[in-house]
Amino acid sequence: MLRFALNRALSAGLMLLVVGTVVFSILFLVPGDPAELLLSSDGITASPDAIASLREEMGLNKPLLAQYGEFLVNALRFDFGVSLIDKASVGDTIATRLPRTIELILAGLVLAALTGIPAGTYAGLRPGRRFDRIASAVNAVLISLPGFVIGTLFIYIFAQFLRWLPAGGYTSFFTDPWLHIKQLTLPAITVGLHLFSIIFRMTRASVLEMRGNDWVRTAVAKGLSRKLVVRRHVLRNALGPVITVVGLQMGILLGSTVLIEFIYNWPGLSGYLVTAVQQRDYPSVRGVILVVSALFILINLMVELLYSMLDPRIRLE
Amino acid sequence: MKSKRFSIPGRMVLPTVLLTLFVGTMFIAPLIFTFDATKIAVSERLAGPSWAHPLGQDGFGRDRLARVLYGGQVSLTVAFVASLIALAIGTFVGLIGAYFRGPFEFIAMRVSDVVLYFPPILLALLVVTIFGPGVTTLVAVLALLFFPSFSRIAYSETMRVSVLDFVEASRALGTAPSRIVARTVLPNIMGPILVQFSLTAAACITVESGLSFLGLGVVPPAPSWGQMIRSARTYMEQDPFGIFVPCAALFLAIYAINLFVDRLRDVLDPKGQLEGKDAVSATKDGAGTPELGEGNVAELRALTLTLDRGADLPPVDLVKDVSMALRANQNTALVGESGSGKSLTALALMGLLPSGIQPTSGQIAVGRKAGTPVDLASLAPHAAEQVRGNDIAMIFQEPMTSLNPVLRIGFQMTEALQAHSDIDRAEAREKSIAALQSVGIPEAASRFDAYPHELSGGMRQRVMIAMALLAEPKVLIADEPTTALDVTIQAEIMDLLRDLRSSHGSGLSMLFISHNLGIVADIADWVVVMYSGEVVEEGPTDQILRDPHHPYTRALLESMPSAHEDLHSAKGDRLDTIKGTPPLPHLRPSGCSSRDRCPMAQPVCATIHPDLYRATSGTRAARCLFAPEAPEHLIQKEAV
Amino acid sequence: MTDRKNPTHITRRTALTYIGAGMAALALPGQSYAASDKTLRYGLSTFPPALTPWNNTGAASNYVKLCLYRGLMGYDSEAQLVPEVAESYEWVDGNTIVFKLREGAKFHNGEPVTAEDVIFTFTSITAEDSSAYLKSSFESIDSMEAMDATTVKFTLKLPSAVFLSELANYCAGIVWKGSDPEDPIGCGPYTKTDEERGVFIEVTAFPDFYSEGEPRSGKIRFTAYSDQNLRYAALETGDVDVIEYLPWTQFDTVEESEELNIAATVSPFMLALFNVEKDGPFKNPLVRRAVGYAIQRQDVVDGVFAGRGTPLLGIPNPPGSPYDLSDPSIEYSYDPEKAKALLAEAGYPNGFSCRLLGTSTYGMHQDTAAIVQAYLQMIGINATLDLPDWATRVKKGKDGDYDIAVHGLSGFYNDPNALWPLLHSGPSNYTRSFGFASDRIDDLLERGRAAMDEAEREEIYKELAVAYYEEVPQIPINWRGQAHAMQASVKGFKGFPGWLNTSSGFSFDTTEPS
Repeated sequence: MLRFALNRALSAGLMLLVVGTVVFSILFLVPGDPAELLLSSDGITASPDAIASLREEMGLNKPLLAQYGEFLVNALRFDFGVSLIDKASVGDTIATRLPRTIELILAGLVLAALTGIPAGTYAGLRPGRRFDRIASAVNAVLISLPGFVIGTLFIYIFAQFLRWLPAGGYTSFFTDPWLHIKQLTLPAITVGLHLFSIIFRMTRASVLEMRGNDWVRTAVAKGLSRKLVVRRHVLRNALGPVITVVGLQMGILLGSTVLIEFIYNWPGLSGYLVTAVQQRDYPSVRGVILVVSALFILINLMVELLYSMLDPRIRLE
Repeated sequence: MKSKRFSIPGRMVLPTVLLTLFVGTMFIAPLIFTFDATKIAVSERLAGPSWAHPLGQDGFGRDRLARVLYGGQVSLTVAFVASLIALAIGTFVGLIGAYFRGPFEFIAMRVSDVVLYFPPILLALLVVTIFGPGVTTLVAVLALLFFPSFSRIAYSETMRVSVLDFVEASRALGTAPSRIVARTVLPNIMGPILVQFSLTAAACITVESGLSFLGLGVVPPAPSWGQMIRSARTYMEQDPFGIFVPCAALFLAIYAINLFVDRLRDVLDPKGQLEGKDAVSATKDGAGTPELGEGNVAELRALTLTLDRGADLPPVDLVKDVSMALRANQNTALVGESGSGKSLTALALMGLLPSGIQPTSGQIAVGRKAGTPVDLASLAPHAAEQVRGNDIAMIFQEPMTSLNPVLRIGFQMTEALQAHSDIDRAEAREKSIAALQSVGIPEAASRFDAYPHELSGGMRQRVMIAMALLAEPKVLIADEPTTALDVTIQAEIMDLLRDLRSSHGSGLSMLFISHNLGIVADIADWVVVMYSGEVVEEGPTDQILRDPHHPYTRALLESMPSAHEDLHSAKGDRLDTIKGTPPLPHLRPSGCSSRDRCPMAQPVCATIHPDLYRATSGTRAARCLFAPEAPEHLIQKEAV
Repeated sequence: MTDRKNPTHITRRTALTYIGAGMAALALPGQSYAASDKTLRYGLSTFPPALTPWNNTGAASNYVKLCLYRGLMGYDSEAQLVPEVAESYEWVDGNTIVFKLREGAKFHNGEPVTAEDVIFTFTSITAEDSSAYLKSSFESIDSMEAMDATTVKFTLKLPSAVFLSELANYCAGIVWKGSDPEDPIGCGPYTKTDEERGVFIEVTAFPDFYSEGEPRSGKIRFTAYSDQNLRYAALETGDVDVIEYLPWTQFDTVEESEELNIAATVSPFMLALFNVEKDGPFKNPLVRRAVGYAIQRQDVVDGVFAGRGTPLLGIPNPPGSPYDLSDPSIEYSYDPEKAKALLAEAGYPNGFSCRLLGTSTYGMHQDTAAIVQAYLQMIGINATLDLPDWATRVKKGKDGDYDIAVHGLSGFYNDPNALWPLLHSGPSNYTRSFGFASDRIDDLLERGRAAMDEAEREEIYKELAVAYYEEVPQIPINWRGQAHAMQASVKGFKGFPGWLNTSSGFSFDTTEPS
């Protein structure tokens, strides 16, 4: 176990170093000058003097290697520097933004798991029956609808047409809990629908595969009730693959809720990242990518641990 | 149920047609009709459908049909090319990594990991920002995003394949690695990779549309669906049709591909696809209190098991008119080839029939430890649960898979006990450990907390036996319990089973199922031979073995391996001495079912379907016109 | 020309009038009431990247900055140039002007606004390492002198007709001299009380604001909605009271709506720029002019801006400019035959291929580029679209990495001198044709700026219009509409006309939500 932990920590550290270096190098290939951009919004002409002095102030005139070294040393101390644009601490911004993206993903995940696992189980236990046919057909539709299409549709229907929910935006839960929940609803459902389709498919396939196993027959032969057979000998085994896939999805979603955050004006991490790229705010871009990658590695690790808890045949090495 | 051979292509027809139609429309329609997807006519902007423009015109007055079709070409081409590149790179990386291992493995897999650790949309954003939007960039981005999934699959599949016998063999023969990889490994991993390819194509379309939606994809004036959605979104309220068209096209494309993948996967890997069949069917709800003959603990009476083949095909009787009595304290052997219906008969006795197979006539009478006997053929599901495992128990052929791998042995044992009595955990544990000891498991207490994979096959079969006997059933069904085990272990398990009758006090009746007559000689008092769903001969073991009356029984005896060690070999329950295989249930020949394979068959065998003729003494019975038990007049009358 | 039409040109006489008006407003009883506790919710088009008072970081920033900082000059709710932190001013001669600051004007920390603060402000703006937007403009200040605590005298190097307009800019706010450079303290009507980066900024009325009874709203909450459709949806659902940059497709809906009001003007203009340094067709003014005749401008207006705008045929004389510079002989029309003839004359009878730069970040740029491309094709110019993201586009524009580019431009006040940064030669910039320099245009701009006489200025700018046509520094395409939309219940918010539109933040003083 200790060896496992050491091994993982080491390889995670290595991966992060590679990711950090790659990001750092890529950013210098990206054309565009943050100083000039900041001073020339809306077609305004900025004077070269002003740009030059802002570049100096932003620290962009230091040698590249010095900047790289500084970035690495500070990142080790969880210090990602300050934004080139407004000097806000990148770490602080991530700390306020990340929980929102996670909240969005988790809310979607909870919705998806609460509906997807029972529906997938039910469909998997009775494949080819009416419920399975309907649910699978609905699911095929869901999986084929990109999130931005669903989002556009939702805003039109629920906000502009029916006026049931706000069109987007964000209010802190502590300022106005009810408004917060209302604003969370549409984006969470949009994320949830995507996750639902994955969880449903995975659960159904997994249950379908598990229920044909010999041990299920053994369990029935023991005289267990159908409920117990399903819960202990089908679902329990089927959850492993589902969790793996969900875990992977969580990691992917961390960086790809961009479109959903964009459409609903949800101020999460992805939106921050996109703005930072557009503004060429290097410290912010680097910080966000490092944090997201670290989380991704962490989630993978947690999935691995969870899987090994669910399936004793898996040895952590 | 359609038979699998026909259903598979059938399942592929719809998605293939859909996909072909869709792709065809995108690429062929513009060749036939003259469309111009970029010609603007601002004065006709947002015009509705007309003859000249069947889907109307967009915000610049461009023909929407042309744009959807042309956009489809762009989207599909980008998706296809990108997926192909991702496949090539990913498969190469994965193959190299898995086959050559060492530093190759490390580099290949870490490169893939680094890409995976980048948030995908962000990676796309960065690449597009560096190289500028455009079709080439898009293809590069998508290929970059998706090659790791190919390399992972190729890697794990290659790992799986490269330890297989034939790969090891070609390696031993000194074949060049590149040749092995290309000729042997690659064809064997193509299935999953093909599935991944289709999945990737669908994902590519989604990502492409997302990027174009953000303005980072295909460069105007060339259309793409995402871009069309982006521009139609501004007119959404004035012109909802404008956003509907590209959304529908996008949806249909992904839907068609996904459908294709799903079906393809079913075809390539049918194990998850049981065609709507439950592993265990619920027993039929009904009523009836059967009576058991004197000294019998269970009886099958004229049992017929029928497979429902759906609306189009007539149902088929898999087991016909089988009667059998299990006497207390007696071991009965049920013998036959695979397909003879012996296992189905045994499962019917447990109420464990696969779904789709139902008892259509006859009774399955099982005596209870307390109370009146029940008819499992018509018992309510809940009531059947109380009989199974309690009054009648079963052990299976595959000890390796008969125990749930993720649950501790102790848990699986105690849950069997707790299903039938209000027993507390400590007591259940004590009883279970005692049961483990009684089947000869050393250190039973620690084995109680072990997981199945920590035990050998023989040990697991002992666990199964202990578990089956926990509730002290009157009947134990053993379905080829030693077939999957090593030879030496087989003997031990047989000894254990033989001893059970004496150690298991309350009069255990065992139904022992085997394809091998020899193996039952040691253990059974009574033998029932089945062929093609029917009992063809039965009688006391010693008599049957000494003097079989049915030609089929004789053939079975002759096919017995001479050495005892080979008795229970797992080389398949096929008979070497009799050519051919038993007939499929719906293709049984007229007259005697076994006549095709019978060396003694006469013309008369084709006209008369023999009954199970019982000897006047009442002990033996055989289903053959030429058997001593058969009435003489039958043959004479027909033979003349 | 009356002064009403010429807010940038203020004489001693009119200045006195303003003082009188201001005093009268102050004196009116009943007009002064404390700020209400109502919150005005304003939908920004983007989150202000920074709120540094003197840097120009975009329209969104400027709206918020006008709440926090105010300069010596400003605009009243009718968009007339008036003294702001200054109470009055007096031109001593063409080069010298004396400002009298308002008594009782205070910074947000309670310190009074003094002549020293004014001098500090302009010294900082023009400091060597300054990145201030108006640094070069205010380098025209020769010296400043505090005559007493609230009186300051500016001496200019040259007479300037637009100095007062420059002082009214949102990048010329007066800052307390003791401020921490990271957190400059202003004297605007609001103080920033809450902010969540990327989400919203909330400002609260400053109780000691110098203009009594203002601001009328207790708080303004600026929320960023970068997606224009969502921004409109937020207004429609009542999530916000006012939005900027109403999508063009919604103008009709809002005009017809009884619940919503629109405040529309034509402000920025779309144009084509060229790389004239590179050896190629566009080096030749005839080819550039051919482009001018090749584009059906109404199609851009209709296709990209939903009909909200007007074709721009000649020099982009700001809407509301005091001078009428129109003259059909120096204006473009849609005349593909003439365009082809010009191409042939320039030696390209069969056209040529080139790269057309735009950006995918802004739909209007992308769409304008698409239409321009279609029309260029018709005269034989095959343009390949290059649509990188905004940052790359800026870089490419600055580096001259294009042949022809589509762009949108604006100024900040309605006088032809506002064209200076767009037409006067200088270091390479993405807002000007790459490598373009014309002594003739430079000279006219410089003369126009220094001239104080109305008639003389008009003559100069008429000449500039001719030079614009002949030298072809850019090809105008169209004026585009720009509108704020608001709930009908919102009172007092004004969208300022023409290029003053981005200064509409001055009207926050009198804006009240329902």
